Amino acid sequence: MTSARTTGPRGRVLIVDDASLIRLFYGEVLRGAGFEVDEALNGLEALEKLLLAPAGLIVLDVNMPRMDGMTFLRTLRRGDQPLAATPVLVTSTEAAPRDTELARAAGANFYLVKPVSPDLLIKHAALLHAGPDGGPNAAPEVGPDGAPR
Amino acid sequence: MNDLLEQFLVECRDLIDAATADLLALETAPDDTERLNGAFRGFHTLKGAAGIVEFPAMGRLLHAAEEVLASVRAGSRTVSGELISDCLACLDQTGRWLDEVAATGEIPATPEDAAEDLVARFAASGRLATPGADSVPGGAVPTDGTPPDGVPRGAVPAGAALGTRVATAAPDWVARLAARHQSEGHRARAALRYTPTADSFLRGEDPLAVIARIPDLLAVELMPRGTWPPLDELDPFTCDLVITLLTAASADDVSTIANTGFGVLEVWPVAAAMLGPDALAVLEEQARLAANDTPEGFAGRLASAGLVASNVLRRSGLPDAASAVADAARTGQSDRSGAAFIAALRAALGDTEEASEPQPKTVMPDQSGDAAPRAQTTRALRVDVERIDALVSLVGELTAAKNAIGHTARLMREGTDLAAQSRALKDQHALLDRLVSELQRAVLGIRVLQMRHLFQSFPRVVREMSRELGKTARLDIEGETTEPDKATVEALFEPLLHVLRNALDHGLETADERRATGKPPGATVRLRATRDGDQVIVEVADDGRGIDPAKIRLAAARLGLASETELEAMPDQAVIELIFSPGFSTASAVTGLSGRGVGMDAVRSAITRLGGSVAVTSQLGMGTSVVFTLPFTILMLGVMTVEAGGQVFGVPLDVVIETTRIPRDRIARLGAAEAIVLRDRTVPLIRLAEMLDLPGTARESAGGDVSILVASAGGQAGAEQLCALEVEAFGERMDVMLKPMEGLLAGVTGFAGTTLVGDGGVLIVLDLQELLRCQESPL
Repeated sequence: MTSARTTGPRGRVLIVDDASLIRLFYGEVLRGAGFEVDEALNGLEALEKLLLAPAGLIVLDVNMPRMDGMTFLRTLRRGDQPLAATPVLVTSTEAAPRDTELARAAGANFYLVKPVSPDLLIKHAALLHAGPDGGPNAAPEVGPDGAPR
Repeated sequence: MNDLLEQFLVECRDLIDAATADLLALETAPDDTERLNGAFRGFHTLKGAAGIVEFPAMGRLLHAAEEVLASVRAGSRTVSGELISDCLACLDQTGRWLDEVAATGEIPATPEDAAEDLVARFAASGRLATPGADSVPGGAVPTDGTPPDGVPRGAVPAGAALGTRVATAAPDWVARLAARHQSEGHRARAALRYTPTADSFLRGEDPLAVIARIPDLLAVELMPRGTWPPLDELDPFTCDLVITLLTAASADDVSTIANTGFGVLEVWPVAAAMLGPDALAVLEEQARLAANDTPEGFAGRLASAGLVASNVLRRSGLPDAASAVADAARTGQSDRSGAAFIAALRAALGDTEEASEPQPKTVMPDQSGDAAPRAQTTRALRVDVERIDALVSLVGELTAAKNAIGHTARLMREGTDLAAQSRALKDQHALLDRLVSELQRAVLGIRVLQMRHLFQSFPRVVREMSRELGKTARLDIEGETTEPDKATVEALFEPLLHVLRNALDHGLETADERRATGKPPGATVRLRATRDGDQVIVEVADDGRGIDPAKIRLAAARLGLASETELEAMPDQAVIELIFSPGFSTASAVTGLSGRGVGMDAVRSAITRLGGSVAVTSQLGMGTSVVFTLPFTILMLGVMTVEAGGQVFGVPLDVVIETTRIPRDRIARLGAAEAIVLRDRTVPLIRLAEMLDLPGTARESAGGDVSILVASAGGQAGAEQLCALEVEAFGERMDVMLKPMEGLLAGVTGFAGTTLVGDGGVLIVLDLQELLRCQESPL
């Protein structure tokens, strides 16, 4: 069911960020790498979008109005599976160790510090995303998503 | 080789020896600042030497070790067995480079590779004093390699504290090897790189046999260490190989099995190498995520960690690991624990050990791999200054004596007072005689070598061996300053090593066994050299379990050395001495250390070659002692010359009982043989010319009396067997410097060696006892 609506060859990525420049930049990069991209301006909107169409990866900002990234993440992980298991890549300008700790405590799968280079973003999206089929037992090998190496 | 390099070699070897001693002492007494400073200085000076001869790889390696020792001095690091091992490995590598320099006469061109692995060991284990240095590739803030401002790599402490580190990045060669054999790669669990020591073949160690013991081999690569030399320079007896392989067995198993050869063995789990550093960092992070056991959202966190980890593994070509990890994550959700998931992740990556110890399983099974070639490659002879000074002054006196003879000769030519001149000449001869013998002694003094040179490598050997065997043993050394001939000291290395190995492997019990029998848990092995007249006694004694004659009887019967009834009748001491029989071994399993197919018989024959003997005594439960008795000087030999078959031969004086002339009619015929009666003893008579297959002068034409040399043909003193040798003439007695037979003649029996005589000719000195043994006297 996680993959019900995906159409891109590498599955769907949801970019959650209040800065339009970032959404544009990430979107360009990820679409170029073969992902289907959707966007949300904050945590609340992200939750609504996910309920409509699950994603194989969420690229999440921390500081956002209405619902910040950490609150969104905790809410997501508390919820029902398989949605709760969606891989999350947190990107933030906050580089202090405490923030990585907070993100980890909230349930982030990985943490990148902004500015994130296109290479780095593609590399980690390719590693983290759940693929067109979603779960780990979603047979066979994830097609042309390209192993990271 | 230029002077600078020669000085470099001599100095570096001394520094290595000193630093090794310091490190070993430091291990037993970690608070000994004197030793610590000594070791530090040693590494520092070695590094400086490397800089002077422009040997960057060596400098880099020593720098890494020096840094570690500096941090110990600064108190930010404590001395551990691993630290000592790494430093010693660093010295080993330096020693190998020195051997290479000695062999080629130049600084090796491309040793960088070997150095990097060792440098990485210092760096990877976090032993460098860099604050915040972390072996975990990427922290929670992975970057392209350049940490963003304010976020030092590895500054996130949480993961390590929770023990979630799942793997260490393997060196590049592991990934390259796996990539070359991709079709087998998915089954590969461990990669191994084995660099046997160059003299492996000569030690009876077959590197391929080591490799063959490893189960589930998937791919094996044999490569030369450098470029092959031209065919006519290729030494087929030198092992010049690097062996790399992939196996489906686990890294731990492989280490255990392969850990027997001489050389450097590195074993790495393959899985971690198949993942890039980024993938590894992502996996680390999933382990950290799973370690967070806050109940709220736990299932979701663990499920996402499992999803990400299994996807990363599957996309990296590790499908089995991927499903194992996914299963563990599912189990963890019902158990409400991330432990199983972390364990599965770690197991999938082959890193079964706890986070504190990083991986390179480099083992130095036996330090002898370096010490022995060193004994052979050290051509420089270190001599005390006083000895050189004594030589210089002797040469001065000799020159004066020579001039005095010239003066006397002139006076004699002028014909003044011949009687007085001949007296003066006689005095001068006496003076020359004294000076020459002093010179001889002084030259011999240079050739002697303190036992220290031999013994100093053994503490290291015992350390490595006992660690490997899991036993606690201390080596007590006595008599280091004993000074037998250099040749004796050098040739003793192998036999002593073998006996030490036996003592540690078979002789000593484990600490638990010792406690059970009321012994102190730490065993003691004593290595002692003493001088006893013109002999040197070297003893290896342990306080271990002793040799059980019952077991020897069983083994001897099984090997068919004697029948069971014979063995029962033999006294225990005689039974114990059966260990010297060729092929004897009681070891039921061949262990890594001993049991290499070279037994005590090899030790005995080595000692016999040196003109010595070996004895073993043992008391069950109390220990074993092996005693070598060797001639102190093996160079100077008193000989007398005899003529046989028209040639002159030397006969060692120590076997000559007497010389005599007897009338021909006293020779008695006994069948085909002849004998004489000498003071009521019948002594077999052999014609030396005949024994040597020389055309003997016909006795009939040689007049009435026959010249007989009576020699000892062996046997115990007092009851020794005699043998009469008929020669054509007796010559003179002299002390000679015996040169052993060399090259093609080395294997010829019956000749003790050769020496130069006054007229410039070569005198062959016979080994009469050996000759007589071959003769098989009919009496």
